[in-house]
Amino acid sequence: MSLRFKWFFLSVLIISLLVFSLAYAQNKFKLKPDAKGKLCLSCHDNFKEKLKNPFVHTPVKTGECSECHNPHTASHGKLLDEDPNKICNKCHEGIVPKNPKSSHKVVMEGNCIKCHDPHASNNKFVLLKAGNELCFTCHKAIGDTITKVKFKHNPVEKGCLNCHDPHASAKSDNLLKNDQVSLCVSCHRTDGSNFVKQHVNYPVAKARCTSCHDPHGSNKGGILFDNVHAPVASRQCGQCHEAPTSPTPFKAKRPGFELCRGCHSNMMNETFTKNRIHWPLVDKVGCLNCHQPHASPRKNLLMGEMKSLCGKCHQDTMGLQTRLAEKERQEKAAAKDNVMKGALTHNPIQEGNCEACHISHASDSVFLLKQPSMIELCGTCHDWLKHTSHPMGEKVADSRNKNLRIDCLSCHRSHGTGYRYLIPFPTVTDLCVQCHKQYKR
Amino acid sequence: MQKSFKKVESWNIGRLECWAHHSIIPLFRYSSLILLAMTVLLLPVKSFSAETVKLKFLQSVYFDDRGGGIKQPEGVACNDKSVLVIGDTGNDRLLRYTLEEKNLKAGSEIKIPQLSNPIRVQINSKGEIFALDGKRRRVVRLTPEGAFKGYVDAEGVPAPSVFIPRSVKIDANNNIYLLDIFSARVLILNPEGKYQKQIPFPQEYGFFSDLAVDPKGSVLLVDCVKAMVFSAAKGSNSFAPLTRSLREYLDFPTNISTDSRGIIYLVDENGGGIVILGQDGSYLGRQLSAGWNEGLLNFPSQMSINEKGEVFIADRGNSRIQIFSLMK
Repeated sequence: MSLRFKWFFLSVLIISLLVFSLAYAQNKFKLKPDAKGKLCLSCHDNFKEKLKNPFVHTPVKTGECSECHNPHTASHGKLLDEDPNKICNKCHEGIVPKNPKSSHKVVMEGNCIKCHDPHASNNKFVLLKAGNELCFTCHKAIGDTITKVKFKHNPVEKGCLNCHDPHASAKSDNLLKNDQVSLCVSCHRTDGSNFVKQHVNYPVAKARCTSCHDPHGSNKGGILFDNVHAPVASRQCGQCHEAPTSPTPFKAKRPGFELCRGCHSNMMNETFTKNRIHWPLVDKVGCLNCHQPHASPRKNLLMGEMKSLCGKCHQDTMGLQTRLAEKERQEKAAAKDNVMKGALTHNPIQEGNCEACHISHASDSVFLLKQPSMIELCGTCHDWLKHTSHPMGEKVADSRNKNLRIDCLSCHRSHGTGYRYLIPFPTVTDLCVQCHKQYKR
Repeated sequence: MQKSFKKVESWNIGRLECWAHHSIIPLFRYSSLILLAMTVLLLPVKSFSAETVKLKFLQSVYFDDRGGGIKQPEGVACNDKSVLVIGDTGNDRLLRYTLEEKNLKAGSEIKIPQLSNPIRVQINSKGEIFALDGKRRRVVRLTPEGAFKGYVDAEGVPAPSVFIPRSVKIDANNNIYLLDIFSARVLILNPEGKYQKQIPFPQEYGFFSDLAVDPKGSVLLVDCVKAMVFSAAKGSNSFAPLTRSLREYLDFPTNISTDSRGIIYLVDENGGGIVILGQDGSYLGRQLSAGWNEGLLNFPSQMSINEKGEVFIADRGNSRIQIFSLMK
């Protein structure tokens, strides 16, 4: 066989394969002409009504049901040809930019049907609901706030998508379409005399607006967050910052906690008389480790909910809470109707109420506890005399160690252990025989 | 391996020849390459086993010389002359012992008005005691006998002049190292307490809870939030990460120390254990665990190692000091 003939034969083979695979891809089920969507609808009669919707998914419109479904057999529900969390990506691959700065959890999980109807709907982009209503099905708290607030932010009312990208953002956190400042100044002129006056001549054009303003609207004028630091509310920025004409106008007048001490001297003095301090309070960042300097949606200008705020540093403690909550959920599901005795988790921590037991600034007690006596502290919520008759208190020495006294922590771990009743052993017997060794089997 | 041998046994000779031709002969052909690969694979295992350090429990310290109990001690220091000083934090005092041939003597109280809540303790080669007062956040200097000698005020420190020490360490030459969390730097002072040098904290960190100086003079920092160790070689003016996050091995590291070989020990306060790292930051293992019984730890605070390989741990939650020996 000559070389030329071999080349010719090979080319014909490749072209035939290409044509065949293309034809197969287009009609892999060898459907009769005109049988595509119509054939499916002959049984799936109820779809005819659905397809009357103004917005129909393209493959549905063109009758390519087999683009997503296998008419014969499938490994996935609804005879889907692929994993339901991946099937949309077959066509809509570029929906998430490469290395996004933020992404919508449902998108990353492939839960597209949380927002879109895969067949047809009354709304553009085959969305399940129109406008903000769709977003508020999940983000209910924001929806409620936006409805209730006195001072509304116009673009929010018009639609979340004015500022947010529903899938992912290549440029900013929180799915913002652009970086925060650029987004704000695209509507708000920063050189207007009123703007300059409101900001007391400080050059805030490039500053982070959400340090003071709630972009979703608020009950305070100028959509400032609901809790405003007094000097901000009275426009006395110079109390903390250098003059607006200074080369470094935003620089704080004093470092760390020393700046706050000027006004909060009573609180600070009381803090510094305690035996133990929460060390971040006296580091370079100081009070701003936990508090916002200007305004916050939370009481005491806290940076976040206590659970996430404390968890920022105490990841081990908060990580344990997440694991324990999940374990509790699984064990409850497995137990079905049987009542599970003893808790795996401690409610105040699960609720993010760390201050039920700890003082966040300083305390005379170890672990910055509210009270020196563990029995007294636990007793503020638990009537221990009702749940145990075990001797406890300053006069009862721990048989394992003469320097220890029997208190609640002799048997329980307040942050949880993975065992019920928050005990550090799998069973109560295992716990008791630590001291009552004569009963050890 | 056994399974494949059984297979070969059941084969006929022709097949065996074929197996030998395809499997054994290439083995000889590439023997040098295989040897090299095996050496590379086995070397780290060998070095790991050589570096493994274990802690053997010796005894615990519960009382002072008058039978008074220790309460929530957070500081402990020892020197090569077997002087042991305990920061008896809950009782606002220091306790001084000597450990000779595993016999603990005295336990005399050092209680001075200038010191309360001692949370870190150090001893220099002259026997002088340095204690960090957790309430006033100042480092107090005492004579070997326990008399107040003065505060470590970092004389001559450049701006910002304010410093708040979170920890203190003394090196072999008696230089004083302060972990200044307020101005985000390590201050290095000469033995008299005069400013010598400062090393700024790195750009990215969580919270530094302690520092150490290894035998080569490198300064080590432990970040309890990011669960990382940073180091600055002797003479260097900046810190760089020595480890990645060690979160998988520990919960909340609050104390760092090194032994005479430069092996690094991290006290995992919340996890009740000691994590051991090589000089290069490689993970070597974890020792001890949480509990009440002797040999177990309950929110340990500070650890100290002397030349003899004696290890002292302030076992705060168990209100005792535990003494171990290093088994290499």
